[in-house]
Amino acid sequence: MSQERNSASISGAGVINGGTYTRISISGAGKVTGDITAEELRISGAGKVLGRVEATQITASGSAVFASDVIAEEMRVSGSARVDGRARVKELKCSGTFKAGGSVSSEYIKTTGDLRVGGDVEAEIFKATGGFRIEGLLSADRVEIHIGGRCHAKEIGGERIRVARGGWKEKGILLDGLIKLFTGGGNAELVTAQIEGDEISLEDTTAEVVRGKRIEIGPGCEIGRIEYSESLDVDPDAVVKEKVKV
Amino acid sequence: MNDERLISKKEVLEELGISYGQLYRWKRKGLIPETWFIRQSTFTGQETFFPRDKIIGRIQRIKEMKENLPLDDLAELITTQVNEKLEVAFSRLRTLGWLDDQVVEACHLHPNREAEPETVSVSEALCVGVLCRLEKVASKEEMALAKQTLDGAATSGLIEQIRQEKLLFYLLRKRLAAAGISAQISLAVIAQEGARFDPEIEVVRSIDLQVLLETIRFDLVNGRGPANGVEHEESKGES
Repeated sequence: MSQERNSASISGAGVINGGTYTRISISGAGKVTGDITAEELRISGAGKVLGRVEATQITASGSAVFASDVIAEEMRVSGSARVDGRARVKELKCSGTFKAGGSVSSEYIKTTGDLRVGGDVEAEIFKATGGFRIEGLLSADRVEIHIGGRCHAKEIGGERIRVARGGWKEKGILLDGLIKLFTGGGNAELVTAQIEGDEISLEDTTAEVVRGKRIEIGPGCEIGRIEYSESLDVDPDAVVKEKVKV
Repeated sequence: MNDERLISKKEVLEELGISYGQLYRWKRKGLIPETWFIRQSTFTGQETFFPRDKIIGRIQRIKEMKENLPLDDLAELITTQVNEKLEVAFSRLRTLGWLDDQVVEACHLHPNREAEPETVSVSEALCVGVLCRLEKVASKEEMALAKQTLDGAATSGLIEQIRQEKLLFYLLRKRLAAAGISAQISLAVIAQEGARFDPEIEVVRSIDLQVLLETIRFDLVNGRGPANGVEHEESKGES
C-alpha cells in the first residue's frame, strides 16, 4: 500500500482509513474502514467500503461492496457493485451488475447489464437494454426499455414511457432459447403492476393497469385494464381485457 | 385523521390540468410528500388517492411558484426536511399582517428591526405566527406564556418534530371556584392532534403547527426567493 499526496492505492491486500482523498485505487483486495470523500474511487479488484462514500467519480470494474450510502457525480459499473445504503448518483452507467438495497436516485441511468434495486428508482432519464428488477417504483421523465432479459418493476410512472422488444426476438428461436438460458428460463418481458405516463408505448409487457394520455399497445402485451384520455392503439397481437376512455 | 376527503389521482390530473409526467416529477423532487399518496383498492384495481384539500392547495402553489422559481429551488423550500436555518424577511411579516404592536411586544422583537434588511429564524416566525393567531383571544399574560412554551420547545427540536408528527398548540383555560372565590388558570400546551382534556377545560384556541410551518415556508420565504434566504442543504432524499 502506498500513500502520496492524499492518494491511496492498494494493489495487494490492505486497509485504507476513512478521510478525504484525491484518488483511491484498489486493484487487489482492499477495505476502506470509514467514511470517505474522494475525487476518484477506482475498484478493479475486490473492494469493500464500510463507510459512506462521497465521490466525483466511482469506477467499479471488479467487485465492489458499499456498506453504506453512496453519493457520486458519476458511477460506472462494469464488474459488480452492491450498495447496501442509498445511492444518489447523478449519472449511473452499468454494464455489469448493480445491486442496491435501498433506493437509487439519479439524473441519468443507463444499464445494459443487470440492475437490482430493493427500493425505488428515480431519474430524469432511465435507459435499460438488459434486465432489471426494481421492487419499488420506477419513476423518470423518460423511461426507455429495450427488453433484454427479465424486467420487473412494481410500478412505472413518468412522462414518456417506451418499452420495446429486444432486438434478438426477430433473429429466431435459437437466440430466443439462448437468452432464456441466460436469464434463468424466464421470458424476456416486462412485468409490472401499473404503468402511468403521458405517452406510453409498450411491447412484450404484462401489466395489470396502464393509464395515460396517448397509449400504444404493441405485440406481445397482456394488459388487464387500460385507461386513456386521448388515444389508444392496440396491436392485434396483444391482449387487453378492458379499455376505458376517461 | 381518516375522515379527510380524498380525491383520486385521475381527478387531480383532470381538475388541475396537470400531466402524469409533472405529478411524478414533483413527487421525485419531494414537492408532494410520500404520505399523501394513499393506495386503495377499488373495483378497477389499485388506485392512488390524495387528501383532497392538501393536494389541491399544494399543486396550485407549485404551479404559481414554478413560474418564477426553478423546480429545484422550489424543492428546497418545500421538501419535508425543514431547514431550521431558513430565514424569513422581517418586513414580510408585517406586510402579511402577521405583526402588530402587541405581537411585536410579546415576541420581544425590536420594532425598528424592519428598517434594516433583517431576518428572523423559522422558529421565531413560528412563534410570531402562533401569537398573531392568539392575539384576539388571549391576554397579555397568556401571550407571554405561549411565547415561553414555544421558545422552550424550539431549543429541543420543535421544528424537526413538527415535520414528523402532527403537533398542535393549545391555549387552555380552567376556572376553579370554591367558597365564593374563583380563579382562572391558563395553560399553553404543545401536544399531538386529538389530545383530550378534562371537561372543565376550555380550549381557547388550537393551532396546527404543521400547517403554520408550511404557511411560513410558502408565504414568507417565497417572497424573498431562496437565493439569499435559504441555506442550501443536502436534504433531498428518501421520501
